[in-house]
Amino acid sequence: MNVRTLLLLAPLLLLAGLVQAYFWVPKYDQQTRATPSRLETFIEGESADAKILNPVLHADSQSSRIVTLVFDGLLDLDQNLNLRGRLATDWKTTEEVFIVVDESRGFPDGAAVTPERIKARILRAKTSGRFPELTATVRSVEVLEGGAVVPLRFKSNTTDLGQPAAPRIRLPPRVRLELSRVEPRILDLLAPVLGREYGAGFDPARFLLSPDTPNEELRRALNAQLPTVEHNPIIEFRLRRNVRFHDGHPFTAEDVKFTYEAIMEPKNLSPRTSDFEPIKSVEAVEPHLVRVTYKRLFSPAVNVWTMGVLPAHLLRPEVIAKEAEERGLSGADDSFGLRDSSFNRAPVGTGPFRFEEWQGDELIKLTRNEDYWDGPPIYRNYYFRVIPDPLTKELEFRSGAIDSYQLQPFQVARFESSSRYRTLSGLGSGYTYIGYNNRLPLFSDPRVRRALGMAIDVDEIIRYVMYGEGERTTGPYPKQTEWYDHGVAPLPYDPKGALRILESLGWHKNDEGLLEKDGKIFEFNLITNHGNLIRKAILSVVQNSWRRLGVKVNTQVFEWAVFLEDFVNPGRFDAVILGWLMGVDPDLFQIWHSTQAGRNQLNFVGYENPDADRIIEALRREYDRDKQVKLSRELHRIIATDQPYTFLYAPATTRALDRKIVMVSEAGDISPPQASEGGDVFFHFNRWRKLEAAPDF
Amino acid sequence: MYVTTDVDTDIEVTGRSSLDEFWVTFRRDRLALIGFVVLVGLALLALAGKAFTEWWVLFDPAVVRLSDRLLPPLTEASSVLSADKRPAFGIYFLGTDDLGRDVFARMLQGSFVSLSIGFVAVGIAMSIGVALGGISGYYGESKFLGLSVDNLIMRFTDVMLCFPTFFLILTVVALLPPSIYNIMIVIGLTGWMTTARFVRAEFLSLKEQDFVLAAKAMGLPERRIIFFHMLPNAMAPVLVTATVSVATAILTESALSFLGFGVQPPDATWGNILSDGKNFIFDAPWLFFIPGSAILVVVLAFNLVGEGMRESLNPKLRRR
Amino acid sequence: MGQFILRSLIQRLALLVVVSVIAHAVVHIAPGEPSEVDPTNPRMKPEDVAKIRAAFHLDEPLHRQYVYWMRDLVSGNLRSFKDGQPVLPKIWNRFLNSLPLFLAATLLIWTLSFPAGIHAAIRRGSGFDRASTFVAYALISIPGFFFAYLLILGVVNAFSVPVIGMRTFGMEDAPISFRAMDRLWHLTIPAMISAFSGVALLSRYVRSQMIEVVSNDYVRTARAKGLEEETVIYRHALRNALLPFVTMFGLMLPGLIGGSVIIEQIFAWPGIGRLGYEAILARDFPLILTINFFAATLTLAGTFLSDVLYAFADPRVRLNS
Repeated sequence: MNVRTLLLLAPLLLLAGLVQAYFWVPKYDQQTRATPSRLETFIEGESADAKILNPVLHADSQSSRIVTLVFDGLLDLDQNLNLRGRLATDWKTTEEVFIVVDESRGFPDGAAVTPERIKARILRAKTSGRFPELTATVRSVEVLEGGAVVPLRFKSNTTDLGQPAAPRIRLPPRVRLELSRVEPRILDLLAPVLGREYGAGFDPARFLLSPDTPNEELRRALNAQLPTVEHNPIIEFRLRRNVRFHDGHPFTAEDVKFTYEAIMEPKNLSPRTSDFEPIKSVEAVEPHLVRVTYKRLFSPAVNVWTMGVLPAHLLRPEVIAKEAEERGLSGADDSFGLRDSSFNRAPVGTGPFRFEEWQGDELIKLTRNEDYWDGPPIYRNYYFRVIPDPLTKELEFRSGAIDSYQLQPFQVARFESSSRYRTLSGLGSGYTYIGYNNRLPLFSDPRVRRALGMAIDVDEIIRYVMYGEGERTTGPYPKQTEWYDHGVAPLPYDPKGALRILESLGWHKNDEGLLEKDGKIFEFNLITNHGNLIRKAILSVVQNSWRRLGVKVNTQVFEWAVFLEDFVNPGRFDAVILGWLMGVDPDLFQIWHSTQAGRNQLNFVGYENPDADRIIEALRREYDRDKQVKLSRELHRIIATDQPYTFLYAPATTRALDRKIVMVSEAGDISPPQASEGGDVFFHFNRWRKLEAAPDF
Repeated sequence: MYVTTDVDTDIEVTGRSSLDEFWVTFRRDRLALIGFVVLVGLALLALAGKAFTEWWVLFDPAVVRLSDRLLPPLTEASSVLSADKRPAFGIYFLGTDDLGRDVFARMLQGSFVSLSIGFVAVGIAMSIGVALGGISGYYGESKFLGLSVDNLIMRFTDVMLCFPTFFLILTVVALLPPSIYNIMIVIGLTGWMTTARFVRAEFLSLKEQDFVLAAKAMGLPERRIIFFHMLPNAMAPVLVTATVSVATAILTESALSFLGFGVQPPDATWGNILSDGKNFIFDAPWLFFIPGSAILVVVLAFNLVGEGMRESLNPKLRRR
Repeated sequence: MGQFILRSLIQRLALLVVVSVIAHAVVHIAPGEPSEVDPTNPRMKPEDVAKIRAAFHLDEPLHRQYVYWMRDLVSGNLRSFKDGQPVLPKIWNRFLNSLPLFLAATLLIWTLSFPAGIHAAIRRGSGFDRASTFVAYALISIPGFFFAYLLILGVVNAFSVPVIGMRTFGMEDAPISFRAMDRLWHLTIPAMISAFSGVALLSRYVRSQMIEVVSNDYVRTARAKGLEEETVIYRHALRNALLPFVTMFGLMLPGLIGGSVIIEQIFAWPGIGRLGYEAILARDFPLILTINFFAATLTLAGTFLSDVLYAFADPRVRLNS
């Protein structure tokens, strides 16, 4: 064979060898060829890899997807976003109240106040039957002797206090009440016994040992540590028996306690610390009974227990230390902790799927947990497959290599009338908005913000940019929760009206068609983050709408880290397009309370309204659902009136799904997969299965 | 599949090619000639783009008409549009994009932006390359901190060559605020190394040539020797590299746009029109094919002209 | 010879240190910090962010951070900001993923370029020559991702077959032959796309090299001796034209990283280019730096290899270098 033939033959053979491989690859129509088990495998296409598979540590949505399959929480949200027991079979909320014995004032009948007398009088009122509410609420009363000397819990802003010793207090005598439910207005309930004015004259400064006279800072700390009434709400979870982790170890109350400790361990840098900060203690009362005591009234508290529970036996400090030693890291690195453990890349939980394999930026594989307490899922394998590019993901889906992926709004229509694919949609709990920097003089007037909002045709954006994959929203709560006030009317699209408002505020159009006031034109920067096609499109649409109004808007898109670090966190921006993903509780403290407007805090637009602050605080103390609803709707109306954001829409989550995938009911009937009422498309996932051929519905 | 066209290795220029001779050879190369014509056309288009989208707004690339989105080329604008939203001549020559913006207007605006990215970036790269190469070649023996200047500059060049260019550009562009100037500067700062190397070689050999020695003997000032005698003679290969580098810079910008780090809105470039258009490839293929082919044609023209210039300047190849 | 190798080795190590210092400076001076935190989570408090910052030494001066980096890199303790995994095994895994793609593309480039280039050189000025010149330049000029999409769309529309990723999922129970071929198929399209521009460049180079060699005296002598044209071209000319290509082997090494970001992104290929891209997005400094360092090492190793190969092939180099 001469050189020439060789040179020609080599590439031809190589190409032929590569191309013939085509005949071995399964196509959409023959997915089961050579692999019957394909029907028992669910392959999901995701655009980014998960980061850390630990319910206590993860902060990204991809990790969250896997974690919910591998771990169970004590509770979760049911079809209608109400709490439902999982690892906990039931739970009840009670309360412990500590009332300071205020001797400065007598009882209504003039008798002097002593601890024993308070106890006796409350018990008498309870048994008298004249106060049925008190009778039902108060379970027991106990006197706590004062006198113990304790240090004042005190966080100083100034390092030098000019005090030789740390401030200390002598505890006053108190009365401890056990209540059958949380009663924020306990003094009102006890008013017939203690009098309406009880506690009004109580001065905690009396109990300060050193120094004698408290300054402003110390007084605040005193008031916090020695309130007239200290509320300690208690939640008791009764745990499910006979639940085992994937390694066979039984699940007990110790695991719940450990999970809490892992969150609060500073070394672990858990992003959930602030959720669990109001907890005073978690006790494993019995192997299947957990008692959680809170430091103060905090109504959203119970919702955090939807978080997955870690296996204590695999992650106790001594086990972690052993792992560090095995990896040759002992001594060299004290910081080795839960965050560094290999557990986060090979998690063990109690969930319906057990973890099997993780190849970075490629796949995560899970397999069915055969002895899942709620019955094993139908799928045997679950693949989480990473495909970053939206177009190739779609092509891969069409060729049958993935079963489902989350659609961009513009992709939805392509699958809706298909005989091979279907779409599955649920309204998400987030919303997208334009946030104005309320601190700037330009935006400080609500009328200006309202005018800007009126110049945007939001319905048109939903129709053309979102392709109908979203709903108009008017306030800070998810639409499917009770907290949302459907009575609030959205801003009308009225550019002329918007112009009138601005003209009434002294703006007038100049020769270039731009609004001008005192020689300055109405100009600002609108920014958003990189990587979100919809926000980028809205950027252009809004820029154009405002230009028509006579406002000059400069737009820019920044990469996430730069966006947060340089603009949002330090408050150096004019207006942003962003979105929030909300929880199901009515607590809005971090996003809307005026104390949360500092650097790196979430009220980055600097919204400030005393009425809103008051309601936000009241919501955290209110345990009665009807009252919460009333308060949250009032808050919704206040925020909608102030328009610190222009609320745009709540986006829907829509997934493409192979038509061969169906939902199997308990009775064995099949039906098309459906999202829950609350918008969770994977709510019924454990009942899904794939058929050989697409059914006729 | 981003490739640096590192093709200036076989240039041999003696510095004596007259312009006429060059032009005669160049004209014989039909591909290069076509490329040249395309580039002239492109230059005019870019100027027109600047003129008609900014100075005298005939085609406004920023007007959003959501009701008219994703229309194919040569569609008439719908009649419901208000007068100030209607496109020039009431027709979308190249269709509309996902927000109903006129693709023709955007391509027109983009032609100027894309070209200026190419030219400015290459301008920066060539200036640095020529300066460092020239200093290294001419003043190479002088000492700085105990090391010869030549050694310093060339080692620095080696260091820069060690970086994976595209990865470095991507890192810096992703970390910096995304302005069009940053992109130009970063592309420029990472593209000067080969130029520096061969300018140095050119200067080294020119320094020994009779006309330079003569000029020195006549006592002409150094500045004059460098700028009037040596530099023009070293310019030919620089021009060839520059031509090819403009093509590379345009491709780099489009690759950055694909990853989302290219020029940001509202500035349109062909690269970001293309990368936005790819999402609508099934609904509106023109959004993908028009900018894609435009980039292909222009980059091809630059490359062909570069190739033609190289062949015309290369005495060995010219001896047919 | 030994001295030559030693000297160029030491030179390159010194370069490597300078490269690492510059890379470190560039990455750390730029704005932005590791985005560990999911900003759509309203529960994340500023205290938590501050804790994370301190844990990653981000508050210390630059030179200290450099020392930490180098110390951890050498001791193998360097861990990613993003997930706390050791950096070196991570890079090694991804390198192994990228390697088949690189090898397949390289094979395609080298086998296709020679016949195409030689043919064009022999028939210089012919229709084939001009057409191949044009096609080569067209392939160099087309934006990579545009071309990749065209090809993927074509293949998927025509044959409706999966092409993305390293393999088809859910095939674990299939016979080994199916699985092997499936992997090969998933290699084919991306390898072809990454090879095209390489073929274009290399075949042009082969062509000009052949033209130059053919005009040399010894080739003319061989012809004059009455040898067959084929023997002249494929024995005498080709052998001499091959010399410079020895060096190109080494110079292609760095292509393993730099050229692969976009291909790997489109094809969801979990290779080293994507690792780098994801690291950039997450501001994962240790990873970015180490990949940069790794790339520089590859570049230097490549030039070293080509220098040595060249020195072996052509003794003159040793004398005047």
